[in-house]
Amino acid sequence: MEFKDYYKILGVEPDAEKADIKSAYRKLARKHHPDLNPEPEAEARFKEVAEAWEVLGNAERRAEFDELRRYGGAQPGGFQPPPDWQSRATTGEETHFRGDFSDFFESVFGGGFESAAGRSQTRGGLRGQDIEIEMPVFLEETIEDTRKPIQYELPVVEDGRRTTRRKSLKVTIPAGVAEGERIRLKGQGAPGLGDAPDGDLYLHIRLVPHPLYDVEGHDLLLTVPLAPWEAALGAKITVPTLDGKISLTVAPGSQSGRKLRIRGKGLHRKPGRGDLFAVLKVVMPEIANDNTHRLWQELSDEAAFDPRAAWEVNA
Amino acid sequence: MSRSILHITVHELCEHEGISEQQVVTIVEHGIARPLRGRSARDWEFDTATAGWMQKALRLRRDLELDWIATAMLIDLLQQRDQLRTENQRLRQQLQRFLMAD
Repeated sequence: MEFKDYYKILGVEPDAEKADIKSAYRKLARKHHPDLNPEPEAEARFKEVAEAWEVLGNAERRAEFDELRRYGGAQPGGFQPPPDWQSRATTGEETHFRGDFSDFFESVFGGGFESAAGRSQTRGGLRGQDIEIEMPVFLEETIEDTRKPIQYELPVVEDGRRTTRRKSLKVTIPAGVAEGERIRLKGQGAPGLGDAPDGDLYLHIRLVPHPLYDVEGHDLLLTVPLAPWEAALGAKITVPTLDGKISLTVAPGSQSGRKLRIRGKGLHRKPGRGDLFAVLKVVMPEIANDNTHRLWQELSDEAAFDPRAAWEVNA
Repeated sequence: MSRSILHITVHELCEHEGISEQQVVTIVEHGIARPLRGRSARDWEFDTATAGWMQKALRLRRDLELDWIATAMLIDLLQQRDQLRTENQRLRQQLQRFLMAD
């Protein structure tokens, strides 16, 4: 196994004062805490830093670690603790970090520690870990209860070794779930040890960006392209919604950017549904031939419209 | 087959996180979370998204050795940041639909 040089991990000298070690730990913990830093490697880095502090922040454990470091931190072929090694360090109140410790830590300081990640001790064993996974959901799937198959990995202990097991499940995504919600499935997390209950599975909902609609709370926004003459003369157009087509009347003289409300065609809300807003966007046709060009010219002469009249440069 | 649920009781939360009911009361008193229902603390239920923030608060408080006031402020700022990110992303996407690249 790999020898962990906790001094190097915290970036301090082996003869550093406890205050300096603590300050180094705090700085790195803030930087790499997985609740603050979304980088995928942050969690592993944070665990390493917390483990280093767990050892170097406790005088007894630090003394034992120093001994091991002298004994041969960098042996070829990996580190093995001395054959008669037994940690004397007590697990005091100073143990505040409850995460997965490395094999190195377990082999050196293990035994006296509660080493299972985030588990609470109950009579007769350890409750299984809660598992949280991201669950991408399409907007269309939020309109009604939707059954979806999922696959995820569970940390398990087999023959005393930590490993993972794949699990498949069919889950119901309840109608109206929103971005950031967490669906809880009792007992579908990691198995408990002994008689203790299994952990829970949490599905963290992520709404998949839609090619047509933008989400604003419970409302949806749809950008509707219009021909200039549709905007000028008014039109009856067909608009897609999450549950079928509807017909929409555009008033004559509609401006680009105007929002038209279509009630009850947004996302689920308790009770009812949000609205769909059609946002008009006037788009230009490619000028196809001399004839259309002539017609635009005629319109320009006839309308005598200056859209920039408010600008002083035109005065 | 396990049912999809969107809440957690105060009893379950305490058991899963290894915390006391009093600590949950403290979290609520600092405005980090509001119970979904339940008149007294022992009947409280939280929605699972709120429970997620409570778990985050517990982790940050423990790992960064913060007091509850700092934890509450941090959670508040993280929530604001998340909201602004989501809003920014949505506005950008909307703008994109209106603008055209040359």
